[in-house]
Amino acid sequence: MGMKYGDAFEAKELPQDLKESLPDVYVDDLLMTLKYFIDEEKAHLWIKDHDVCERCEDKPCLTFCPVGVYKLGHDGRIQVAHQSCVECGSCRVGCPYRNIGWELPRGGFGVAYKFG
Amino acid sequence: MNNAEKIRFDAIVVGAGLAGSAAAMVLAREGLNVALVERGQKPGGKNYFGGAIYTHAIAEVLPDFMERRPPFERPVTEAGFWFLAEDGLTRATVQGGKLDVEPADAYITLRADFDPWWAEQAQDVGAFLIPKTTVVDFIRDPAGQVIGVQTDRPQGDIYAPVVIICEGVNNLLTQKLGLIDHDLEPSHVALAFKQVISLPAETINARFGLPDNDHGLAVSVLGDVSLGLPGMGFVYTNKKSVSVGLGMMLDKLAEYRLRPYDILQRYLEHPAIAPLVKDGQLLEYGGHLIPEGGYRDMPQLYTGGAMVAGDAASMVNALHWEGTNMAIIAGKLAAETAIDAHERGDFSAQTLSAYESRLREGFILKDLKQYRNFAKFLETHPEFMDVYPDFLNDALGQFFSAYGKPKRELFQNIFGALTHRRPLFRAVGDMISMTRSVMGL
Ligand SMILES: Cc1cc2nc3c(=O)[nH]c(=O)nc-3n(C[C@H](O)[C@H](O)[C@H](O)COP(=O)(O)OP(=O)(O)OC[C@H]3O[C@@H](n4cnc5c(N)ncnc54)[C@H](O)[C@@H]3O)c2cc1C
Ligand code: SF4
Ligand code: SF4
Repeated sequence: MGMKYGDAFEAKELPQDLKESLPDVYVDDLLMTLKYFIDEEKAHLWIKDHDVCERCEDKPCLTFCPVGVYKLGHDGRIQVAHQSCVECGSCRVGCPYRNIGWELPRGGFGVAYKFG
Repeated sequence: MNNAEKIRFDAIVVGAGLAGSAAAMVLAREGLNVALVERGQKPGGKNYFGGAIYTHAIAEVLPDFMERRPPFERPVTEAGFWFLAEDGLTRATVQGGKLDVEPADAYITLRADFDPWWAEQAQDVGAFLIPKTTVVDFIRDPAGQVIGVQTDRPQGDIYAPVVIICEGVNNLLTQKLGLIDHDLEPSHVALAFKQVISLPAETINARFGLPDNDHGLAVSVLGDVSLGLPGMGFVYTNKKSVSVGLGMMLDKLAEYRLRPYDILQRYLEHPAIAPLVKDGQLLEYGGHLIPEGGYRDMPQLYTGGAMVAGDAASMVNALHWEGTNMAIIAGKLAAETAIDAHERGDFSAQTLSAYESRLREGFILKDLKQYRNFAKFLETHPEFMDVYPDFLNDALGQFFSAYGKPKRELFQNIFGALTHRRPLFRAVGDMISMTRSVMGL
């Protein structure tokens, strides 16, 4: 019923017309509206094991993160732009391999919503 | 560090959100020395919702709240559902009557304004706010009883005989304490994201049919908004902005590899929505999880020296976007239990179990039990999000445009439209199981 984990994770496809109805938004335009106190010393997110990501065929973290923190580097490795994280928690529970290390930012750091 | 140097309070509340500040307010008012620990720069900076907040809950903790000038945007004077089809919109909202009272049942608000005010009410009666501080673990005595918290500040240990955990949906501390043995499942959480879009108040009033700035609209949006997958949109009118967003189940976002911001943009460009936000300026975008597992994901609510309240304990009624009221009331009940424990000088699990009894007497556990099957229902009946809104649009469209046709034919057309999408017996079955899931049968 729920999402399958690990190698059992099953990607699904929307009907073509629905897929085509989705615009292609440049997420950085949205990020400009957010305020952050960036921790230069400590990353609160990290990939536990890059080999696991290599095996992860569908890499859903690249899409479901609401602020596009996860990107595929030229070397094929997942890059983590933890500075833009809004601390929603989706990647902690949504990575099918539970391969993302996730902590709260240190006190005072991270996103600071102006409207919320 | 010797005993005398330890930082001691009568109670520690983790998180200055809705549950946390409510708990701190009730404790401090009773004369207890309360530390309210918040990881953000100030309360509210981390917090997020649609949204509308319910006055019945606020009043239970702060009866004279209206005199304290809460930073509300607008009262909810019109509420209901919008059914979005691919090319149309059916509105089913109520206004006036029960909704046009002062104070209103619910007020639209922004958390970055509301939460600091809410925490101030706790500070006013003596709660000690410790911002910019993340609680990372508990301090426990050899028997396992919680006797304080560790924070990420140097020499940041704080001691108290009772800790109320109001940490929100990312319940790392609740898990650390072993009160729940599993993390949230992607199929039990919705990722909700929205845009706050600036517009002049007069424009909002004109576009949404509101007579003045003291009227506001709060609607849930079903149908095309979530691409036919389980999910629900919302629109709230603030004073000088509108909040438009939606929540979708995280497992579906992952499986279909969808980008939240693309879906939101598609929704904002819908022919029925775009004119409402036209020429508006984006003020802020963001996202947050909603625990939708309800009763199924509720942790054990207490242990020796600690209790859990609010989103951290999955106290959300997803169907009604109700989480704020449950958080506030649970915070209050946990605080009352802590006050009793102080009177007895006993903070054992046995004494704190009264918290769960208090919750059972109130509406929270009753409601959550009742709605426990609803999330499951949506999982197994995706057509509820898709087929029915389309049908409603068609049906009403025909109803209002089919003059001159015999009524019988009209109804045949309408039923034809539905059964074309879904065999009638299945549709009836859907309605029955939907009703059953909502009634908790
Ligand atoms: C998009 C969206 C729309 C919603 N709309 C509505 C609505 O219209 N009406 C409604 O009633 N509900 C709505 N909800 C649900 C509602 O927002 C939540 O149920 C409610 O905010 C829960 O309050 P809380 O106090 O439990 O948690 P939160 O408000 O999340 O507060 C948790 C607090 O704890 C702090 N914290 C967490 N961990 C630590 C730590 N380790 N150390 C220190 N501090 C910590 C956080 O910074 C935060 O301040 C919505 C939710 C979302 C996401
Ligand atoms: S972080 Fe998780 S979802 Fe992303 S590529 Fe790695 S294993 Fe896959
Ligand atoms: S917590 Fe949310 S915002 Fe942060 S990286 Fe994970 S998915 Fe993205």
